[in-house]
Amino acid sequence: MAKLTVERLKKQFGTSIAVDELTLEVAQGEMVALLGPSGCGKTTTLRMIAGFVAPTSGRMLLGGNDITRVPPHVRETGLVFQSYALFPHMTVAENVGFGLEMRGVSRAQRGPLIAEALGLVRLSHLADRFPKQMSGGQQQRVALARALAISPKLFLLDEPLSNLDAKLRAEVRTEIRSLQQRLGLTTLIVTHDREEALTMADRLVVMEGGRVRQVGSARELYEEPRDAFVAEFVGRCNLLPATREDDERVRTRGGLLLSSRRRADESSSASTLAIRPERIAIEPGHHAEIKGQLEAVTYLGAHTEYQVLLGESERVVVTRPTPVRDDPMLSVRTNDPVSLTWDTEAPRLIPETAKD
Amino acid sequence: MAILLVPACILILGLLVGPLCLMFRISLNELGPTQLMVEALSADNYVRAATDPYYQQIVLTTLGVALLCTAITLVIAFPAAYWLGRVENRWKSVVLIATLFPLLVGNVVRSAGWMALLDRDGLINWGLARLGLIAHPLQLMYTPKAVVFGIIAVVLPYMIITVSSVIESIPLQLEEAAANLGASPIVVFRRVVLPLALPGVAAGCTLVFVLCMNTYATAVLLGGPRFKMMAPAVYDQFIRSNNWPMGAALAFILLLFTMAFTVLGSLGFARRYGKVPRGPSERLAPA
Repeated sequence: MAKLTVERLKKQFGTSIAVDELTLEVAQGEMVALLGPSGCGKTTTLRMIAGFVAPTSGRMLLGGNDITRVPPHVRETGLVFQSYALFPHMTVAENVGFGLEMRGVSRAQRGPLIAEALGLVRLSHLADRFPKQMSGGQQQRVALARALAISPKLFLLDEPLSNLDAKLRAEVRTEIRSLQQRLGLTTLIVTHDREEALTMADRLVVMEGGRVRQVGSARELYEEPRDAFVAEFVGRCNLLPATREDDERVRTRGGLLLSSRRRADESSSASTLAIRPERIAIEPGHHAEIKGQLEAVTYLGAHTEYQVLLGESERVVVTRPTPVRDDPMLSVRTNDPVSLTWDTEAPRLIPETAKD
Repeated sequence: MAILLVPACILILGLLVGPLCLMFRISLNELGPTQLMVEALSADNYVRAATDPYYQQIVLTTLGVALLCTAITLVIAFPAAYWLGRVENRWKSVVLIATLFPLLVGNVVRSAGWMALLDRDGLINWGLARLGLIAHPLQLMYTPKAVVFGIIAVVLPYMIITVSSVIESIPLQLEEAAANLGASPIVVFRRVVLPLALPGVAAGCTLVFVLCMNTYATAVLLGGPRFKMMAPAVYDQFIRSNNWPMGAALAFILLLFTMAFTVLGSLGFARRYGKVPRGPSERLAPA
């Protein structure tokens, strides 16, 4: 395993810029997720690292060697494709052994290595099957084994879970993460699924429009988003256009004064108040500072979601554990008056789009 | 719903199977000394075709030309077919139309054009003479080479279209996966593209081989009177020699070879590995 360094990587297709000066580092044994909506450039970035797309400019280093112009078949990366891309005319064992065969490992020596790789994904008993004779989840694990069998310097995962159903997804997610940690794999995963990224990766790189919006741990991105895009992309978030009134308050576009303590790192271009729905407390009546009217209640099982109208036109969503027994919120109906409170540290005043 | 098949069945039974049965019966008749055809039940015509060096030569020439043309066509067609099966831009439809365009020109018209090109007074000889490269016109027409090239020009589109459609069905990710695992482009071709393209290659070769075996206009116009292939020989027996039984027997031998190779073609490559796994909607194209 080796460290991956990407420096000012850029890819232009005609006039459109798919990836714009992307700089990124994946430490040895670290798992980093490229997270973003479709079209954000994350897949192009992965394909440049694997060698299928030639960058317009910038460079990539793997284990200290410049691989920018190295053809894909000598890059020593192990890529798991979204579609798995198993060779349909080869058995599972032949698929897993293909990379070893390409490295000149003799048939006799391949046997135990194939068995070991299949053992990692608990598929030893299906070595003689053809891919089409297996379920999607099994094919996915064969693809993992095939990529791992070559002991790649870098493990690349392209939306590895998107073809699995929800239950299997959670299972494979845990499996990939534990494999990655056990084997100390330097891993880059590309995904548009924030849950996938938040639960698996050590660090996340949020991309949008070919650019990196923010890099950080799941907690950092969730609790200290740099801008409104990141705040919304990594989790549900109330975003209210607002300006700084004083050190303790902001004024929304609708004219409401809301409490929000100024932070040392607050940007001067900050124009959006961001507050997570679960950081807001809600109670019946108009006894607290922020007064509103309940517009809708959505029961979600463990949680209940309340949509509240503040002032004339501003809406916030509040989530909290579903009230039980004699909780006063149980008797609140649509159009009833409600009040909101939050810790003055909970909201953040952030820019719409962070500038570098 | 089976009623939908009736018109086509009537046509095939009435105009193909019927006449073929009739012709098979004729092939067992004999050519009489005074009459053109004597009712008989003998395999004489088949025995003659198999043993007479004249007919042997015709069969061998036809098989040889067909096999050679098929092989050369495959080699020429594969790169073009690969390109067509992989590329995704506006040039694809342009090239596709250009590929199909020759099919719009009839064989006779095309061969007549070739005659104008290859004749002793044709464009090539005229050009070479004007350049002072040759003193006497070259014999280009009425050679086996002319026939082979003529046939290839006719059948190439069929091979390209057939092979490109199967290339298109091989996900590009399979090639990328092989490259990612360390396969050089040549190895990717040998281990992934070619094995998966084999059904299409087999179908293309079978189709082209059948077309080559049955070549008529190209063989007659470019090969001249002394170059004998089977389809013209059948015609000669029926029309020139008035030997219907022999013509019918030759026709059946031609049919036999054609069908034998068709069956071989479909059996030899009938290995199937099932459906290729397909990715979901989001493609691996630039996101």
